[in-house]
Amino acid sequence: MKFRLCLVWFTFMAAPIAAQDPVTKVAVDVNKKLVKIFGTGGFKGLPSYGTGIMVSPQGHVLTVNNHILTTTMVRVHLYDSRILNAKVIFREPELDLAMLKIEGDIDFMPHYDIEEAKKQPLAENGDWIFASSNSFQIATRDEPMSIMHGVVAAYSELRGRRGVFEAPFSGEVYFVDCIANNPGAAGGALTNRKGQLLGIVGRELKNTLTDTWINYAVPVQAKIEFKREDKLVKVDIAEFVSESIAGKYRQSEKVARQDRGGYTGVVLVANPVMATPPYVEEVEPGSPAYNAGLRPDDLILYVDGELVSTIKLYREIMSQIPPGSEIKMEIQRGNKLESIKLKVLEPKKAPAVSAPK
Amino acid sequence: MARCFLLAGFYLSFCQLLVAQDLAAVLKAEKARIDVVNKVRPSTVAILIGGGTNGGTGVLISDDGYALTNFHVTQPAGPTMKCGLPDKVLYDAVLVGLDKVGDVALIKLLPKTPGQKFPFAVMADSDTVNEGDWSIAMGNPFLLATDFTPTVTFGLISGVHRYQYPSGVILEYTDCIQIDTSINPGNSGGPLFNMKGELIGINGRGSFDKRGRVNSGVGYAISINQIKNFMGHLKAGIDTDHASLGTLVTTQTESTGISKMRVSQILDESDVYRRGLDVGDELVSFAGRQIGSVNHFKNVLGLYPRGWRVPLQFTREEKDAVKKYDVLARLMGVQRKEVKDPGQPDPEGKPAPAPIDIKKLLGPKGPAAKYFIAKPGFANFYFNKQEKDRLMTAFAKHGNFAPVNGNWDVAAKSSLRLIREPITTKISIDEVKEGAGSKSVVKIGYGSSNPYELEPLKGSQEPLALRMPENSGGFNAALYVYHRLLTMGEKGFDQFHHGGVEPYYPPPADAREAKEVNWGKQRTLVEVLKTSHGPFQTKWYFDLKTAQLVGMEHRSADNEDPCEVFFSDYRDVGGRQLPHRIAVWHNDNHYGTFDVSGYKLAAAK
Repeated sequence: MKFRLCLVWFTFMAAPIAAQDPVTKVAVDVNKKLVKIFGTGGFKGLPSYGTGIMVSPQGHVLTVNNHILTTTMVRVHLYDSRILNAKVIFREPELDLAMLKIEGDIDFMPHYDIEEAKKQPLAENGDWIFASSNSFQIATRDEPMSIMHGVVAAYSELRGRRGVFEAPFSGEVYFVDCIANNPGAAGGALTNRKGQLLGIVGRELKNTLTDTWINYAVPVQAKIEFKREDKLVKVDIAEFVSESIAGKYRQSEKVARQDRGGYTGVVLVANPVMATPPYVEEVEPGSPAYNAGLRPDDLILYVDGELVSTIKLYREIMSQIPPGSEIKMEIQRGNKLESIKLKVLEPKKAPAVSAPK
Repeated sequence: MARCFLLAGFYLSFCQLLVAQDLAAVLKAEKARIDVVNKVRPSTVAILIGGGTNGGTGVLISDDGYALTNFHVTQPAGPTMKCGLPDKVLYDAVLVGLDKVGDVALIKLLPKTPGQKFPFAVMADSDTVNEGDWSIAMGNPFLLATDFTPTVTFGLISGVHRYQYPSGVILEYTDCIQIDTSINPGNSGGPLFNMKGELIGINGRGSFDKRGRVNSGVGYAISINQIKNFMGHLKAGIDTDHASLGTLVTTQTESTGISKMRVSQILDESDVYRRGLDVGDELVSFAGRQIGSVNHFKNVLGLYPRGWRVPLQFTREEKDAVKKYDVLARLMGVQRKEVKDPGQPDPEGKPAPAPIDIKKLLGPKGPAAKYFIAKPGFANFYFNKQEKDRLMTAFAKHGNFAPVNGNWDVAAKSSLRLIREPITTKISIDEVKEGAGSKSVVKIGYGSSNPYELEPLKGSQEPLALRMPENSGGFNAALYVYHRLLTMGEKGFDQFHHGGVEPYYPPPADAREAKEVNWGKQRTLVEVLKTSHGPFQTKWYFDLKTAQLVGMEHRSADNEDPCEVFFSDYRDVGGRQLPHRIAVWHNDNHYGTFDVSGYKLAAAK
């Protein structure tokens, strides 16, 4: 019996995928399980399009919880040229994912079974990967997604550095050597050479210090922990998907990520031009800045000895200062120069994003 | 237990076998790849501009030195440039033809010794390329190669039949190939090969967006099949134009999610309007491809030069039924109207703009300069002359008509669409001397009735007279220019130039209406000669192999539906080949077929 098993296994393995065979079949198969999403955007260089992965025969679509879902209703283009509406039914900011449901009488859609996909072992460094997505909105309607190839460069934690780049997801991810994370690619499929789903292509992520971009995908096995009613809850993508489809997912309360470091109570003037100097518009009463004596119309010149000629520069520097530290500011008030010291506090909690009913 | 060990041992040897197999497969694939690279490398051209401070890439496509590149590469160079090949020799090259909208330029490298054969790449059928295929790009990114050896990159075809919007009117990438094969500035104009080493495209563009002008994993190559359609025009030195249909087509999505492409506006001077297309009609297929989106439509349009005819299928909702129409559409241009000869006032009476002196802007330099002639409407008129002279020399082998430049009498039996019985017909094309001047008179007489008579050059004629006989679109006038072409050649025309290569659709002998015909099946390619003489604008069609005249399309005013004449059944008449069957069509209808029983050709008195 074992012997026969061995033989079966042998015949299966004896046909290794040749290094140069076309991957057209994979491209075509994967494409059928993806949708093009059109939502909000189109301003400030933010694309109004994205990609989603079909996860049920009835038209449930898993995608990245990014700005194109600011509206609750989006348009999706299916591989078979249909254009339909879809509604955002659940979001999970900690996973940076959202679930859409295509409206209308829809069934028998080719899709990925996430429960099955998560049982696959993780891909290893150097394994071939393919990224299929609607990057740059090259495809519309029934035009197939773009597919690119690469290898897993690393499997590691995606850690954002304050102010340098803000990571929307904090767990372990696949870093890939192909330029997968282009505009509109978020929510695309990262697959192996058999077209099996390995992960979900992430957002565009730029390191502002080195002006480089990182390409990553969240693995289908990704898991998060959060407190729900004082109990520690663990949720993985498969659970998010199955509970969303069942209509009973309960979202975590996400602590809003601050991109401006700690809290000082300084409110600067509006920043309409490239080089607006950091004039103080307002100081929140009782805040560290208020207690240190900072007042409206003050001009901040130096922070910890660094010249801050513009609001942009001020924010960049402030974003790198961890809460709890004491900083020194040189300010100009009228014709006088003054020096103040203040303590940066923990950032305030922003209200959680709630899922639409 | 022993059996277990045995199995384990067996398993291990399996693994070793598999590793060895895998390794062999990888090595084999690697060797195949290296062989392909070595095979195609010699055809890759490093194009150097401004003494090598600027440049791009090209690829040789024939052993006599023709090479393809991007228009945006040659644009800063002007008509002459320097090209380095991987043999480390620097060649002089001259611009031959341009397709500014499609971002293609054809150049010609000058051989160092007469008759030198260049290595060249073989063109593939790029419609067989699929997403998921592998590809190889070669070129000169960042102008790295000081010894002209190209950089090789390898990657995946990410998508096919892609559409990328133009910048303004030019540089529109239609039906292009999307690759993740790395291309960077300097790769422009370079070849994209399939894994057999056949040329499938010309790399020219990337989605750079906010990452600066470097590879972002998304590059585009112009498909070689598109370039093949333009090749005849490019080789004839033409500054070619792309096509439009003269319609605005919009997508209507129904509640089921299915979309339809409907005509929302149409120009009444467009050819498709004359063919019967109207607002509200749904486009179904175009040039044999189904049309399901604006991108599909633009992709098809982008494949063809202006002036080409392509089959168009549309449907119209009529009362209770949806009726299907098949027509043959003439494509309009996108860039500009036909460039008139400098000095010729345009028909609206405005003075013609002074011709642009290209020499003043970017003069041809070096040894290649003698292969360049500037002329508006042409990238390099020198090559148009070459092509025209070659065609005319080949055509002259079918007979020298110069000695018979006088009266022609043609006896025929004609089957006219509007007359049931075949009818005896006498045609005469007379050159009448009157004092110092001469005049021409063309007569077509059916049976015993009064002949249709046209004196083509008589001043102030009714436009209707030039379109005689009725429903022919101007067969009298067509016969007049036909006689003129055969007996006088180039001397008989104001403008006389090669018009590249076009598809040609001779209707079946028994067809009487265009809608009965499957035009896709009739298609063949022909060489085109374009002439004008007085008000008469004529396109002449020549067989690609024999250079025999197979047809003509004739009109006496812009935007007028032409008289189409099809020549066949060529037979010898006193050492000259003449057609013994002449079919005339106009406005999608058969006018008549003339079976010639005798020609009498006389010298001018």
